[in-house]
Amino acid sequence: MIKFKPTLLALLLTTASLIVSAETAVIVATSNGNGAIDKATISKIFLGKTKSFPDDSQAVPIDQDDGSAVRESFNSSLLGKSSSQLKSYWSRLIFTGKGTPPKQLGSDADIKSLVSSNPNMIGYIDSSAVDSSVKVVLKF
Amino acid sequence: MKKITILSAFAAIAVLPPLTQANDLNINGFLSVGVSMLDNNDVTLDGFDNNGNFKNDTILGLQISKQVNDKTTVTGQLVSRGSDDYATESAWAYVNYAASENLDLRLGRIRVPFFYYSDFLEVGYAYDWVRPPSEVYSIPFSSIDGTDLNYRFSLGSWDTNAQLYYGRYSPSGAGVDLKNFTGLALSSTSRNFTLRASYHRLEIETDGTGSFGAGNTAAVAGVTALKPLLNPTNDAAIDADIDQVAVDFALTGQELGFYGLAAGYDNGDISAIAEYTQSFADTPFFTSNTTYLVKVGKRFNDLVGHLTYTATENELDSGLEGDVQKALGLENKQNSIIAGLRYDYDTSTALKFEIQNHDEEIVNGAKGESAMLYTVAIDLVF
Repeated sequence: MIKFKPTLLALLLTTASLIVSAETAVIVATSNGNGAIDKATISKIFLGKTKSFPDDSQAVPIDQDDGSAVRESFNSSLLGKSSSQLKSYWSRLIFTGKGTPPKQLGSDADIKSLVSSNPNMIGYIDSSAVDSSVKVVLKF
Repeated sequence: MKKITILSAFAAIAVLPPLTQANDLNINGFLSVGVSMLDNNDVTLDGFDNNGNFKNDTILGLQISKQVNDKTTVTGQLVSRGSDDYATESAWAYVNYAASENLDLRLGRIRVPFFYYSDFLEVGYAYDWVRPPSEVYSIPFSSIDGTDLNYRFSLGSWDTNAQLYYGRYSPSGAGVDLKNFTGLALSSTSRNFTLRASYHRLEIETDGTGSFGAGNTAAVAGVTALKPLLNPTNDAAIDADIDQVAVDFALTGQELGFYGLAAGYDNGDISAIAEYTQSFADTPFFTSNTTYLVKVGKRFNDLVGHLTYTATENELDSGLEGDVQKALGLENKQNSIIAGLRYDYDTSTALKFEIQNHDEEIVNGAKGESAMLYTVAIDLVF
């Protein structure tokens, strides 16, 4: 894993320089059967309150790595929680065995690549990174 | 780019459901360490005295959980408490069957949803205090063996969890058996608001042995010994009434329980919580206990300042039962003011400072004293 870090860092830096108006896009695979998904449903999926998409297929949320600007924006604008509030929220669920937080699986490029190949996944990336390999279900 | 594609492919396989969930063994833990000191020894508070105490707030918890198939998860949480000489206990040890997305059935050892913070009672990181105030959080055990059902539903913006449980708690050596332990807890959240209501009841029985049983036996004997005081004229009818109170004092399956209400608000900047409990009991051995707490907090970046007022009061019954309770010193009235500071050092470590003024207005029927408790603690989750 460590070997790839410089490449990832380079990618991150490239992406960072592209951010002008930081709009965030919530994405799913093009093969995912859902159209637009509302904010409340996405929030429920990422807070572990539901495990399904509106069409009842299984939903697996994935997070960007801790500390990324897109993640901060997703947490505050969409989930409406600060990172400390979220940490406390998840520690309450983890230690009752009621849930585990979404896995952290990298930055825009990693998330996009993962989501594009798995119809059950849902992630979020900077909207400038969106391309035809994924479908946007919400932009904010 | 090729390398990244390979990495992504690996990651995709790793999180591909349900493979992942079937193969994931989740290991989590928490640790709290604290140092506390009272400024005098005239009060009884959470086992502290006027020498530095390094162990009462020290708690280590390790949790493993694993999804064994589509519907079934096992969870075990081992907790080792300094206040209990680091004896290790299973706080949670259950198998969960997800009957549907909204309904979970659990069997095994579960934490009882007595209070607002019960589910994560010992995970100090999950709240601002070093420990929940013992005025309200006064039940000396937190887990029972049994089963429960959790049902989740939404109404408008309110997400509700209804938990119904049934079980038994019979610790070895204490001489007490809590049977037909039943309760219901409803918790609803909407945006920054949480409302909670719960009801709990059980039947209590003792065989007169152990730490608890011996205490009950002594109290029963104490009631009979009050005859000369409460009945100086040796009236036969009053003697018979006192004998009856002694019979009622003996714990032989009487019903006991309490209900609780709580409301919380947290917008990430300002937080508040209020919690109230009221107990009831068939037997006059337990006086009617009312407790509450009110806490407000304000966040300044990584710092949270908070202030709490909490109180507990045991009310005596009326008539002869009340006279007996008074003579046995069962009357209590205490309160605390807690001022604290929490500093989030990073996303998994919190440093806490707390000052608590504990006032025993009435303790065991007599006027009490007050004292200050100073605490520094560190809470981690990993």
